[in-house]
Parts: sequence; structure tokens; C-alpha cells
Amino acid sequence: MSRRALNTILAGAVSIVLILWLVVPFLMALMWSMVDPGQPWSYPDIFPPKLSFERWKIVWETTSLSTAMLHSYSLAPMAGLCALLLGMPTAYAFGREEFPGKTIAQILMLTPLVLPGFVTAVFFASLLLSFGLFDRYPAILLGHVVLFLPFAVRILSVSFAQVRQDVVNAARDLGASPIGVFRVAYLPVLKPGIFAAFLIVFVLSMEEFAISFIVGVPTFTTIPTILFSYLGFDFIRTNAAVVSLILVVPNIVLMLVLERLLQSANPANVSGKG
Amino acid sequence: MPKALRIVLLLAPGLGLVVGLMALVVYRAAAQSLGLYNFAGTDTLGLTHWQDLLSNHNYWGAIRWSAYVATTSSLIAVALAYPLALWLRRPFRGSTFLSAMIKAPYLVPGLVAAFLLINVISFHGFVNEFLVWTGIWQKPVRMQNDKFGYAVIGLQVWKQLPLAFLLLTGAIQSIPDPVLHAAQDLGAGMLARFRKIILPLTAKAMQAALILIFIGAAGDFSFQSIAGPTRQDSMATLMTQLQGANHNDWNGAAVVGVSLMALSLVGAVAFAGLVQLVAKLAEKAR
Amino acid sequence: MPRLQVKDVAVRFGAFDALKGVSMAVDEGSFVTLLGPSGCGKTTLLNVIAGFLPPTAGQVLIGGHDVGNVRPEARDTAMCFQSYALFPHLSVADNIAFGPRQKHHPKDETARRVAGLIEQLGLAAHRDKLPNALSGGQQQRVALARALAVQPGIVLFDEPLSNLDAKLRDQVRTEIRELQRKLGFTAVYVTHDQAEALALSDEVFLLNRGVVEQSGTPRDIYFLPRTRFVADFIGAANLHTGQIESGAMKTPFGVFRVDSADKARATLCWRPEAATLGGDLSGRVTASAFQGAYLDLFVTAENETIRLQVPGHHHIEVGETVRFGIPIGSIVQLAEDRDA
Repeated sequence: MSRRALNTILAGAVSIVLILWLVVPFLMALMWSMVDPGQPWSYPDIFPPKLSFERWKIVWETTSLSTAMLHSYSLAPMAGLCALLLGMPTAYAFGREEFPGKTIAQILMLTPLVLPGFVTAVFFASLLLSFGLFDRYPAILLGHVVLFLPFAVRILSVSFAQVRQDVVNAARDLGASPIGVFRVAYLPVLKPGIFAAFLIVFVLSMEEFAISFIVGVPTFTTIPTILFSYLGFDFIRTNAAVVSLILVVPNIVLMLVLERLLQSANPANVSGKG
Repeated sequence: MPKALRIVLLLAPGLGLVVGLMALVVYRAAAQSLGLYNFAGTDTLGLTHWQDLLSNHNYWGAIRWSAYVATTSSLIAVALAYPLALWLRRPFRGSTFLSAMIKAPYLVPGLVAAFLLINVISFHGFVNEFLVWTGIWQKPVRMQNDKFGYAVIGLQVWKQLPLAFLLLTGAIQSIPDPVLHAAQDLGAGMLARFRKIILPLTAKAMQAALILIFIGAAGDFSFQSIAGPTRQDSMATLMTQLQGANHNDWNGAAVVGVSLMALSLVGAVAFAGLVQLVAKLAEKAR
Repeated sequence: MPRLQVKDVAVRFGAFDALKGVSMAVDEGSFVTLLGPSGCGKTTLLNVIAGFLPPTAGQVLIGGHDVGNVRPEARDTAMCFQSYALFPHLSVADNIAFGPRQKHHPKDETARRVAGLIEQLGLAAHRDKLPNALSGGQQQRVALARALAVQPGIVLFDEPLSNLDAKLRDQVRTEIRELQRKLGFTAVYVTHDQAEALALSDEVFLLNRGVVEQSGTPRDIYFLPRTRFVADFIGAANLHTGQIESGAMKTPFGVFRVDSADKARATLCWRPEAATLGGDLSGRVTASAFQGAYLDLFVTAENETIRLQVPGHHHIEVGETVRFGIPIGSIVQLAEDRDA
């Protein structure tokens, strides 16, 4: 089958391109993060003269990376939790209720995705200034929650829609209390969706840059903002490499878990990421 | 409890919060652009800030630049994603691997992507090393922060290709096999099937992809500041600069912000219209 | 020369043989049916004829020419799909005009042809509607009109009526057959519904697990089945296996008279409606179902159960002993059956 052979050759060629597209940049970052401070890597060396984890230690001890990580890793789960709690009622309405104006409501829910991120960030900051809200953590938390609620609501709506009404009726018919009905008819179907929604808000919050930058800098740092500082005026390539890897690797792992969850929950669904 | 009340209560914490805050943000941007909420002085409702910026050539430069980057990125991303999505329509050996690799950049945060790119094209990066090693170039060439924005466009395409691919794949795979077989059975070859069946049925997805990528690229800040030409502003960098500590010109920033929203809207409508036009022409052409 | 010839076609998917050496010849203007249970290979065979599936072995000849290298779009076949496969974004008229437009026929001729087909298939009221505004039966007619618009030599039908409700099915199948008689195209019709096959076909090819078990006219297949599978698949069959001696086989119900030579082991087959009340055979009724035109009886003797159909005006209850007879001409001896 010459057609099949052509296909395989093409697949091979594109794979090579994709590997270059993806793997090489990461390899470079990894190598840079492991350049030994004593022996800098410069032209004409093809590989760093010496590899060590010195750089990682230095970055951890001398920069505010640890604070930034603390901030990021405390923001993200909170954002996930709040998005879940605030989004569930709306998701229930979208998934199981019919009402006039439902389509408009669903479209309006997507507004944070349509407004340019930095415009939202700047004028959110402007509002905060006017209202005298100077506490960074709650402000950024609010920003993240609002920005990522559409994702949570979308995933949860689909989950709610999959709850079978006949199972709910059966539970009620057999005398279960509202909590009992929730536990037996809703929860099993919602569980993957709940995890997925939490995860996606977590990941998006970890990576969010616009609001953290505009509202947070310079007092409240997150991993993305600290990375940005290494890419701006003080371009310290090796530090940037370290922070990049710290930002990316856990996220990739979480996203893969998320993909698995979404497939088990909503076989035909496309998530907001991945 | 009457149904209307119950629905309102259900929608309030989620939809209500989102719409409320977004409405406030948009109002604030519009209001500040018209001189209200002036942090640096007194509120004066009027078009002075607009006039100031409209006569500022940096402002127009930023608009042109953002429009250029956004248009080019969305067209290239969709032009690359479409053939890939068509090719990967039905599974074959290695197709899942290819799909995963195409979607992978979506997992990488923008800043990291920017860093990875500069790393690769930097003075000591892979590209330079490789081309010097093979003898194509005598010595390394400075490639980042180039004045045509190729680095920025490249980054946008790298980051957004997965989105275009996902949207197009969804539409292409929802065309049932029998429909394409029927077309073939009635005499349509590969090109005819593409023009008359696939293109019209995927036009909406193409619109969505172009519009979303345009909006995302038009509002870009990080790629521009890291890999963009040094003296050029995108609308987002200009806006941030104006509201920043150096200028404290929130009202000016608001003008840029509102303009950016307008640019997004215009781009979206233009692309929607363009796709409709192309689909109609392709179908009619003999 | 037959319009369509299939010579020893085999199709293999990995380790699975979907078709194992199938041959058939279809004359110009005849209506043949490929009948069989799901998985028997009938749709696979149809796809091979249409060109969507290349055979692993064998040849397909259309009009005497080997079409092995001819792509589907160039073959003189048109298919009517089970799911109708109408182009969702085109109106009824545009769907029908698709084929002629592809072949660049002159505009007025296409328009005339489309108008004619719309008229013929009763679609005038739906001309400009999109497929999703049509009912199943209407979509089926559009699919048929679309296939006929290219004036194909052979029309292939892939279980076209399986998505319609029973009453509509009867009506549309009659329309299809009338249209085929009037226009004279050759039809290859795939179905799992034996009633359809019997009613429509000039010739039936009964497929089972990738091979043609028997082919012939509907009456041949019904009254002269050659194997156990064929006997069972078409209608209901009563089967008795045993020894034939002096033109008779002993069974728990009595002695069956057969017009056949002595044989150590043979299988006899007869249809339930062939039985008449009163005769040398007897058994005990274990189930009785009134079906209006006839009474369906399950009759048992010594652990064997057979099925009888007698006119509905009889009253026979469960537990009664019934006497019946079967005309000697209604009993068929099966050929070597492979499903033993």
C-alpha cells in the first residue's frame, strides 16, 4: 500500500519536527539549570563543561523563590476550593435546570475568557485602589477565582447533566433524605468532575501571570512573577531555567492526571487545557 | 420557593460574581478613559485623554503592532492546524502520539515558553550552535528581539496551535464517515470533498479558532516584553507602562485598554466575516 | 453478460476473515438481496463492490471490466446508506444535485433531472429544506433520489429501512421495488430482515460467517433450504434428524413419510404452516398463542418440541393432545449440513 507507506514516512517526519519543537527547548532548559556556577557555559562549548545541582541550591537559598512558592502553592488550592464552592450552584442550574435566558447566561459566564487578560488585571487593580483594598492575597485570590470560574462551571455543568434523574427519583422514592439523595445519586457522578474542576483551577492559578503581576508586584510574588523578573532586566539564564522547571514539571503531571479524570468523567468532552 | 427565585439564588455566587466583577472592570476602564476616577488629580469627564493618546504615535504604533502580530499568528496557527487535523482525522499507527505531541505546548505556561524559546535562539542556544557546527553560519547570530517580531509570532503560534488543533479536530471528527463516503460515491474526489463538505461543515470551528487566537495574541504582554523588539510596544505593554509607577497615568492606560477591547472586537468580527466569505467562494467555485 | 460479477472475493481484517471466497453474478435489471445475520459479511461485500474496501483476494467486475483499480468516485455504482448520510448543510434539492454537479453535467439537464426525481419521490414540499427538518422516511427518499440522480448502473442499498418504523418500512420498500422496475437499474440490497428479502428480490444470497450458504429465488430458499442455517434463518423450521428406511423416518411424533432413498443419517425440514389437523402424527400441546390469522402451537413428544401453525379459528388449549399430518411434498431433506 503505497498510500500507507507515504503516511508512515510523513508521520515519521512530522514526529521529528515535533520532537525538535518540544524536546529540544526543554533539554536546553534542563541543561542550563544544571550549569555549575564555577564553570559557566559559553561559546564555543557545545555542552556545559560541568553539570551540578549547585544552581538549584543557590536559587533556593539566595532568592525569594521559596516565598514565591509558598504564595503560589497557597493561592492555588484556595482558588480551586473557592471556585468549586461558588461554581457548584451555577453548574447545577446550567446542568439540570431549564429557564428563559439560559443560553445568554451560559455565554455571559465566559466573559473572563474573552476580555484581554491584562485589561482585566489593570482595571481590577484600579478598582482595588479605589476601594482601598490593599491586602494582596485576598485580592489576587478573588481575581483568580473570577478568572477561572468559567472553567470550573463548565466541567461541573457537564457532570451535573450526567446525573440520572431516574436514579434521583429512585432514591427519593425509597425514602432518602436530601443529603442521602445527594450522596447516592449525585456524588458518584460528580466526583471526577469535582476533582477535574479543582485541578484545572489549581493549574491555571499556578500559571496565572497578569493579575499576580499587576496586583502583586513588588510585595507579593508568585512563581510566574519571579520567573518574569529573571527574564526581564536581570536575565540570569540559569536561575530562569530552574524556576521554569519548577513551574512546568508539577503542572504537566497534574494536567496529565486531569486528562485521565476528564476522560473517565466526560468521554466526549474537551477541557479548557490540554 | 418559586422557580425564578431559586434560579437567581443558584446563579448568584457563580455567574453573579463573575458578571458583576467583569462589568465593574469594563465600566472602570471605560470611565477612566473618559477622565473619571482620576488618581492623579481631579475627575474631569471628557475626551482629553483620548485626544492625548490619539495624537501619540506610540499609541498608533502599538495598535498597528498588536494587530499585525495577532493577525499573523492566528492565520499561521490555523493554517498549520487545519492540515494536521485533517490528516489525523482517522487513527493510524502513531496518530495518538502525534496528537499528544501537537497538543503538548498547551501544557506549558506562556512565560516558560518564552524562556525556552529565547534559550533556543539565543547567542548560545541550540539553533546557533547547530548552524555553526554544520558550518552554515561562521559565528553565532543575534536572533532574539528581532524587529519583525518573528520571535513573538513564533511563540504565539507555538502556544496557540494546540487550541486551533483541538477546535478543528472536534469539528472535523464530528463529520460522520458515511457522509464523506456518500460524497465520494457520487463522484467527489479528495479536493472536491474538502471544498464542498469538510470546509462548510468546519467553518464555525475555524472562525472560533481564529477569533480566540486573535484575541489572545492581541492582548499579549509577556511574549512582547521578553522576546519582542526592544523599542516596540504592544497594546498590553503600553497600557501597563502607562499605569505603572513611572507614569501613573491610569486614564491613559484606560484609553489603551478600551482600544484593546475594541481591537479584539473588530478582529473577531472581521475574521468571522472572512471565514464566511471564503467558505462561500470555495463552495461556488467550479 | 451479467452487469455485476463477484469472483472469489475474500476480505481479511488482521486475523479475522470477514469474507471467505464469495462469488455471485447479477444480471442487468435484476434486484438481488444479500441476506444474513449481523457479522455475516454482507455490508463488507457491499463496500467491496462500491470500492470503499479493497478485497484481500478476488475480483469485482462491473459490465465485464475489472474495477479493482477504479476508485469509488469513478465506479458506476451509487450507494444508499443506512444512516442516509445526507449532506447536513445542503438543501434537499442541492443534495440530489450533488452527483450531477460533480460530473459537470449541463445546468439545465441537472435541474430537470432533480425536478423529475423530486416529483417521482414525492419530495416537492420539502425541496428547499435542510435534512434535519425531515422525518426518517423523507430522508430515506432523499437519499434514494440522490443516488438515482447520477443514473448509476448499479444501486447499492445498505439496510436502508432499518431506521424506519414498521408501517413505513412496508410502504417504502414497495416504493423502492416499483421504482427499480420502472427505471430498470440493477439493485444489490443488503438486509437482515428476511421478510424484506422474500418480498423484494429476484434472487437472494444468504450469507453466514463470510460465505454464501445458499442462493436462489425467494421460493427456492424458503421451500427448498439446503442447510440447517438456511432453514432456521428464513421463517420457522421444524427439523428432525434420524434414519430414513423405506421412505420413512421414525420420530417421537410418529412416522414421517419421505420421498427419499434410504440413508443412515439425514435431516428433514418442514414449515409450521404445512401441518393440517387430523392425521397420523400426534403430540401434546405445551404452548398456544392466538395470532389472529393463525394459531401458533408448540407441540411436544418425548422431549422434542415442534411448532405448528393452524388457521386462527381453531380452539386448541395447552395440555391437549393434537393429531396432525404433513403432505409428503412439504418435507424437504437437507443437503449435507455443516452446522451439525
